[in-house]
Amino acid sequence: MRAEVLKGHLDGLLLAALEAGPLHGYAVMEALRTGSDGRVDLPTGTVYPALHRLERAGLIRSSWSTEGGRRRRSYELTPAGRRALATERSQWREFSGAVSALLEGRPWPTPA
Amino acid sequence: MADPGLTGPEPDAGARRVIGTYLAELACQLGGPPSARAEIVAELEDGLWAATVAHQANGLPLADAARAAVAEFGDADTVAAGFGPELAAATGRRIGLALLSTGPLVGSSWLLLAAATWIRTGREPPAALGLVAVLVGLVLAVAVPAAVLSVAVSGRLCRWLRAGPEVAATAAAVAASACVAGDLVLLGGLLASTVFAGGVCWLAGLLAAGASAVRFSLAGRAARRCLAARAMLA
Repeated sequence: MRAEVLKGHLDGLLLAALEAGPLHGYAVMEALRTGSDGRVDLPTGTVYPALHRLERAGLIRSSWSTEGGRRRRSYELTPAGRRALATERSQWREFSGAVSALLEGRPWPTPA
Repeated sequence: MADPGLTGPEPDAGARRVIGTYLAELACQLGGPPSARAEIVAELEDGLWAATVAHQANGLPLADAARAAVAEFGDADTVAAGFGPELAAATGRRIGLALLSTGPLVGSSWLLLAAATWIRTGREPPAALGLVAVLVGLVLAVAVPAAVLSVAVSGRLCRWLRAGPEVAATAAAVAASACVAGDLVLLGGLLASTVFAGGVCWLAGLLAAGASAVRFSLAGRAARRCLAARAMLA
């Protein structure tokens, strides 16, 4: 799945990858790959800058540590990031439900 | 947290050379503040070693695993271009903050000069200085909002303002250029006052002129850096 296909959902995917706990950049890439059985394989030039952008927006925060003699930057969700993730999920359910209904010719589910 | 770690603190020279060459090429492509560039290189170095260890775990020798990691990360030009917007935002933010924090100092030095000269001579300032004051007011009316905008859109407010990094870089370039113009006006006003009116307090004059000369030089460079960062986004 190409990065442009996921445009608009990248932030939600990154926030979801960090929901379980702090990860460094490459671990985020791996989490997206393994969590999608290899279908979401985003390039470095997309994932790392997007993490920086989310940090700038206050949705995640980073901290530096030393691992094996090298500096490592890890990211974790902020409270604002958790709220944004909940919003992304809600919007995705509505969007995917509407598109599925249209593509598969199903009626839009109405509340009972 | 996934933490594969390395097989040793000093992995083989071949792997280090592969990763080092890639990072050196990447570093050459990055613009923006040096500290931001250094952080990106350090972060990607750690990511490359993590990828190397992952490939090594799949059976590749370490040097080949490093080559696979570099291939996985993609060519340095593309990765560097991906960081362009964030580095442009960082450039705009730093310059905006620098101008907002140093502006009052430069302004205070000129107010001190005006006060010291008035106390020393006891004369009203020459009428021509009214034009200088108007021009400086115009400069402030442009520079301050532009600097505030560059800081606002490059920080947490970007979630709501929906303005891209190019806006931060452009606004910072406008603010810095306005400061250059303002310093030229102030230095010209000082020169004219000295030549035509006299009685300028020299110590305060040197302080104010020095502050403006330094800011003139730094703001000029800052404006060029912002425009270069913006050009890289095009």
